[in-house]
Amino acid sequence: MLLAPAFPRNLIPALIGRLMSLFLHYLSMPYLLEGIELTLEVTALGLGGGLILGLILAGMQLSRFWLLSAIARAYTVIFRGTPLILQMVFAYDALPHIGIKLPAVLAAGLALACNEAPFIAEMLRAGVLGVDRGQVTAGQALGMTPRILMWRIIAPQAIRTMIPAFGNEAVSALKNSSLASVVAVQELTLRSTQLASSTFDFFSIFFASGLLYLVLTASISVIQLFVEWLLDLDRADGRQRKLADYLPWRRVDLGTKLELAAATADEPQPAQPELVETPPLALTSEERARRAATIARNNIAVETKDLTKSYGPQKVLGGLDLTVRVGEVVALLGPSGSGKSTLLRCINHLESWDSGTVRVGGRRLGFGDNGKALSPRDLANERASVGVGMVFQQFNLFAHLSARENIAGPLRWVHGMTRIDADRRATELLDRVGLSHRAYALPRHLSGGQQQRVAIARALAPNPSVLLLDEPTSALDPELVNEVLEVIRRLAIDDGLTMIISTHQIRFADEVADRVAFLNGGRIIEEGPAHEVLSNPRNPLTARFLSVMDADKTPETVR
Amino acid sequence: METRVMPHTRGMSRALPWRKVALGAAIAVGLVAAAPLSAQAAAPAACAALQEKYPDWKGKTLVNAINPHTPGYETIDPKDPSKYIGFDIDLGEAIGECLGFKLTYKPVVFAALLTTLAAGQADIVISDIYATKERAKAADFITYSKVFDGVLVAKGNPKGINGINMSMCGAAAAENTGYVEVPLIQALIPECKKAGKAEPTIQLYDNNANCIQAILAGRADTYVNDVNTVDSAVKAYPDKLEKAIAVTIPYSVGIAVPKDKPKFRDAVLAALIEVQKAGTHMELLKKHGLDVNNFKEPDILTAD
Repeated sequence: MLLAPAFPRNLIPALIGRLMSLFLHYLSMPYLLEGIELTLEVTALGLGGGLILGLILAGMQLSRFWLLSAIARAYTVIFRGTPLILQMVFAYDALPHIGIKLPAVLAAGLALACNEAPFIAEMLRAGVLGVDRGQVTAGQALGMTPRILMWRIIAPQAIRTMIPAFGNEAVSALKNSSLASVVAVQELTLRSTQLASSTFDFFSIFFASGLLYLVLTASISVIQLFVEWLLDLDRADGRQRKLADYLPWRRVDLGTKLELAAATADEPQPAQPELVETPPLALTSEERARRAATIARNNIAVETKDLTKSYGPQKVLGGLDLTVRVGEVVALLGPSGSGKSTLLRCINHLESWDSGTVRVGGRRLGFGDNGKALSPRDLANERASVGVGMVFQQFNLFAHLSARENIAGPLRWVHGMTRIDADRRATELLDRVGLSHRAYALPRHLSGGQQQRVAIARALAPNPSVLLLDEPTSALDPELVNEVLEVIRRLAIDDGLTMIISTHQIRFADEVADRVAFLNGGRIIEEGPAHEVLSNPRNPLTARFLSVMDADKTPETVR
Repeated sequence: METRVMPHTRGMSRALPWRKVALGAAIAVGLVAAAPLSAQAAAPAACAALQEKYPDWKGKTLVNAINPHTPGYETIDPKDPSKYIGFDIDLGEAIGECLGFKLTYKPVVFAALLTTLAAGQADIVISDIYATKERAKAADFITYSKVFDGVLVAKGNPKGINGINMSMCGAAAAENTGYVEVPLIQALIPECKKAGKAEPTIQLYDNNANCIQAILAGRADTYVNDVNTVDSAVKAYPDKLEKAIAVTIPYSVGIAVPKDKPKFRDAVLAALIEVQKAGTHMELLKKHGLDVNNFKEPDILTAD
């Protein structure tokens, strides 16, 4: 009398047929399908609420105030560390004891939201921290307030990187919504178990509800892929990546992709025809003297007095005095770590310092009338109004914006220009740096030299009174250096722009700078007319540096 | 799944005659279930008097928390899953009709029935729950039914289990979380040990269907529960399951109401008496194929 009697062979197809028809019956049963609605409601509440809570939590964690971030951390520990099922029961059965009696769907949604929040917050935080710091600095240098930075630079890039994680989170929230069954929400899982209890068709029912869940989660994946495609920067770039490329069996390298490389490569030295190399700029001694005399009568553009700054025990600026007059080009020379970059960053107050003063156009940038430091927002506005442009070693272009938008965007957001005016100005500047044909290219599709030229155009766009260039060619391949130097040279000669350039290009400094300042250990140890210092350094340190900088970079004789 | 606290009447524990009755009743279900239930309404005059005496719930809609996984007592209607059916459902509605309230249902896991009531998320629990002193700490009970448990085993009863006794030593028992059978089986552990036998193990699930599946999948050897539930499982899988025996356990089934509403408790008790007087209770037992011997005159069970 042991176990199941053997079925006659012909019964098996009949059995399978019966199971199949039961499966289809349950698959199309309105009772189960209606359960989907509640499943989606709880999921939506959980995700939506989780997003709002997560934004708050992430904000608190990234905040400057330690108390806020401690509270957020405690919340995360509690809600990430306890099972969702307990949180559901708590929201449903415990909250009523303190007078909060939520309907079951809301209680379940609340518990799910509280549970999702720390996970979403971590995603948001990772997304924000993942945005290149250099771009944030560049935005600050352009006078963007923290809000504009977040909204225009950080968020658009962070969101793009967060979509896959958010898709994951949505799927997991959908599945977690099944736990709402413990608090009597008639969602899909609860309906399935009740149905199984009343009919004993256990497997047909669970296969049917499993398939329904699969359809739901698959829809989330499709939505995720669609959003990824929609926000794909290369799509906007006209370099069509097809939606189909996202299918799992396609092997398109979404990071680099061949057509794009080809598109960049088809323009081997595209700039050269437009940016004709001027003969190595040649000022005669008399011209130099005349220029120096003119500049000497000009107003002071930038002045630092006794500037000191330390990173912990290490002194980076040791009482530095520098005066730059309007129209003057000053080259800062010196070994790495001599304080060149720090000096430049102090001039537009991207960094603070310990003592001393910095004046730009006679104003103490970053300090109110009472001498107190301004808030980040006021500082940003002052930067924009004083007009200090900055060009960075690593270009720091906004990666999600086209070349033209890199220039036009800040004009609109910071300086309130209309879109038409900003675009016109951007086009004009791109033309000037020889890149009008790449106006719609993304930074990552430009060569290093092209990126730096866009960065220069971006810094020039608001008509700054001073342009700071921090080793503008150090990150470039040797063959790309000249195209950038050429642009800078023209700014000096044609535009008479006041510039402070930190550089290792001795020859370039000789050609372009009116004056060089040689830094060592956070002090200027020698300064004077460029050609004079470079040809006949008086300080032995300067001499040694210049000779190390290699023979072929020594200045040419002035013609 | 829960039985009453009072000592009960003769002969109930004999498995054999009892089974016959169950069988007869099961056949009767088919006939009665289709017919409209004439005796549903309790005496109108008496109920009118009750509604006058207990006016607070007249015209209200109350929430009944149930664990709808017990065929015969409470499940969804397979033909119209938006409805619940079963003896408890009908009994609750008969009481509601007498007192003038309607019921909506909130399906929860068995272990959450009383917490849901205590949290105020439900007004009443009529869900085949056994009234025990322990549970009476969480709610007041109006008992209304005796309970007989059946021992569900795989076809052929390979482990030879014949009750909650030493035959369960070394067996795996499937139970619902929170069921009274759980402590009864747990109590066997020291006894089995003393006798030098292996201990019984308990697997806790959160509904009937999962307990039954545990036996079908060979994970558990037995599932002890209300005999009608066991019978319906055997009916659904006649080739794979059988009922080893029926046993009595010393509880009654009760309607749970909040502890802080003695007036409501009294009203429900009074209405239940009227429903029984009108013959509705007995009628419903027959309608749902339950053993008429389950019938019990109501009592109140509280913690003190």
